[in-house]
Amino acid sequence: MSAAPKRLTMAELDRLCRRRQAAGAPMPAYAGPLERHVEEGDRRLLKLQYDDSAAALRLWSFLLTEEERLHAARAAGRKIVGTMKDLGTVPVMAYALPNVVAFYPDGAWWTPCVMELSEGLFGVAQSLGLGDAFCPVRAMAGAFVNRAHFPIPDLLTCSVGATCDDFSAVAQRLESLGFPILWWEMPSRRLPDPGEPAVTLPGGFRAPESQVALVRSELDRIRAALAELAGAPLGDDELAAGIREANRVRGLLGDLRRLAYTADPCPMPALEMLIAEMLAIHFCSDRAESVAVLAELLAEVRRRIDKGRGVLPEGAARLFWVNPVADLRVMNLLDDCGARLCGTEFLFCHALDAIPEDLPPMEALARMALADPMVGPAADRAARVVRDARAFGAEAVVVSRIPGASHCALEGAVIGRMVREAIGLPVVELEVPPMADPMWPTLKTRLEALVETVIERRKR
Amino acid sequence: MRTVVYSSPFVPAEWLAAHGLRPVRLRPGAGAPAESLGPIMGMCPYARAFVGEAASMPGVDGVVLTTTCDQMRRAAEWLALGGGPPVFLMNVPATWQTPAAARLYRDELQRMGRFLVGLGGAPPSRDGLAETVEAYDARRAALRGALGALGPRGASEAVARFDAGEEAHDAALRDLGRGGSPDPPRLNRTRGAQDAGGAAGQETCRARALSRAVPLALVGGPLRRDDVRLFDAIERAGGLVVLDGTESGARTLPAPFDRRRLRDDPLLELVDAYFGAIPDIFRRPDTALHQWLGRELAASSARGIILWRNVWCDLWAASVGRLRETTGLPVLDLDVSGEDAGFGRTGDRIQAFMEMLR
Repeated sequence: MSAAPKRLTMAELDRLCRRRQAAGAPMPAYAGPLERHVEEGDRRLLKLQYDDSAAALRLWSFLLTEEERLHAARAAGRKIVGTMKDLGTVPVMAYALPNVVAFYPDGAWWTPCVMELSEGLFGVAQSLGLGDAFCPVRAMAGAFVNRAHFPIPDLLTCSVGATCDDFSAVAQRLESLGFPILWWEMPSRRLPDPGEPAVTLPGGFRAPESQVALVRSELDRIRAALAELAGAPLGDDELAAGIREANRVRGLLGDLRRLAYTADPCPMPALEMLIAEMLAIHFCSDRAESVAVLAELLAEVRRRIDKGRGVLPEGAARLFWVNPVADLRVMNLLDDCGARLCGTEFLFCHALDAIPEDLPPMEALARMALADPMVGPAADRAARVVRDARAFGAEAVVVSRIPGASHCALEGAVIGRMVREAIGLPVVELEVPPMADPMWPTLKTRLEALVETVIERRKR
Repeated sequence: MRTVVYSSPFVPAEWLAAHGLRPVRLRPGAGAPAESLGPIMGMCPYARAFVGEAASMPGVDGVVLTTTCDQMRRAAEWLALGGGPPVFLMNVPATWQTPAAARLYRDELQRMGRFLVGLGGAPPSRDGLAETVEAYDARRAALRGALGALGPRGASEAVARFDAGEEAHDAALRDLGRGGSPDPPRLNRTRGAQDAGGAAGQETCRARALSRAVPLALVGGPLRRDDVRLFDAIERAGGLVVLDGTESGARTLPAPFDRRRLRDDPLLELVDAYFGAIPDIFRRPDTALHQWLGRELAASSARGIILWRNVWCDLWAASVGRLRETTGLPVLDLDVSGEDAGFGRTGDRIQAFMEMLR
């Protein structure tokens, strides 16, 4: 592509896609115009702006065909594991088995946004007693009950303990409806006491060895359940191979994030980066393909940087974003307001860090699981935000609150305070509902004000 | 004596006492100290009130909070950042079906012990711990025996006094448990108006009214100090709480101790009596809570359930639908924010619920 990269509407992207198809450009079987997904109800796609690269089209097609992949896996006799809440650990174990596919039913939290509430998942959740006071993840309960989205998993696991109450409550409600769950304990990560044996976790947090041992024993229960489900042993060799493959994904993402969040002009829009990061947690139900998708995206970013081209104007305000947005369109808004993404903490930085390969696999996985930013103090998470914001050269931090989420009220306050104290960056807290349209003027004004503040600060 | 305040029923008072410290399970008030602490939007009003009071209360040497809910877990961090008394966050596992979970609870008690020593406490000997536990067990047995004779509000207040470490009423509780006559002014009533002249006549009227009242179960989260008004509001509306299943009621008392095993391993007995026995909403799965509810509701002949929950408490909020399904009883989902100072809205909702039940 010789023209400067730009963002397109869905109709423009689909025209481009058809031209590529007509020209015989190589494309995976699942790739194609996004219009077909709109016909199935994904109406939000009509309102989004997309990167115009073949790599981004592949990314979107990969994302939007996940349910088809899961149903195909079921039809092919593969076992399906629904892994809830841990965001990045159990899938690494599940994909180490040849006939197992794992996915996060939690991902249904985006369905009401993508389908612009036409799917009725919140209504079903409401009928189960899970109303607006809950985080949008309540959509997951609706998806289990109406069975109109993902196939019902053969095994459901859920980490509990130091997790959000919303999730724990919604999962318990699911179990009461007849969906058995294998609960496993995730302790509240704490700093080691003086003299207590401790380890450094991937990503840099510290934790007592005793907590790692507990998580390891809990993951052993998961390992046994997975092996029983698969009818095949899940030994250390298989796990080590699974970890290496997971690290390939993480490595690609690491390179992609480093380049996309630091190059100027910005080579990849915020929305595509959000989607790309999501691939880390469960590989969008196809680990090998997620490697290929990310590799193509990374190659595109490298090409653009080599040519000095970006998809956004040079000098855009560099924002670090905390928490995923329930409405994907808000990522577009960020770009529209004269900003660009410059680092993220979407609740799963532990799924982005490399899993140690020089440790026994279960020990490595336990350390990785315990590095989950959500299971420790908000101060830990804030420290990670500070470190990454500094590394990526962020000029401001946006804490995007998730409506109803039990962790957001106090966590946002702690993160905001620590960021201001440690690196003196302006911090804005926003609340983003699954359909942010009614709040659009407010969100836009607040982001624009933040961008103006950043630009003004550059003059000092 | 140094004072340690705590909130969760999973913190054993006798463990603190055995370290030579004064345990106080704090029921926060609705007062002003909380207002300056923590964000309002999204934060549980109970957690906010607790943090506010623990931080501003004179004579508090340490605070113990637990991980039994996300809000309290995070409130512990908020409290620690505020520069108040030292805070210990106790990891109480949500799962309970594995030996590892019970082991974690035990380890956390031992870790808490080191925190208590840091506050000036002394590690208890095995015999010393056993004696302290026995003493608490005896007091708790007297409390249990007396609750039925106290009336719903009186029972809730008696539990609160026990939790606050007040021993002045122990003798009266023992008498009451043995069938002695209650001492209404001290045990059953706290409001001056009810101690005034004509109280006997009022009591007769009240007894008649209560005999016609609709029996109700009150289940849910913790009550603040002022929330005992709830029992009065229910009675005024024509109901009577025959089962207090709130976190502040008898549901969360630990199981009686086995004296023989207590002498062998008192810490293990603490684990069994608390972690192994208290049914609560945060446990996964929450089977024990629903078994307890099924059993107690059947025994109480309650005709309706009032679910008392603090706004933003997801754990109790998600139980409303299930309670309706499993009990078949009408459920009033009473969400409280602590801002209904006059209890007007709450009272109106109870009134409407009672009208529906009658």
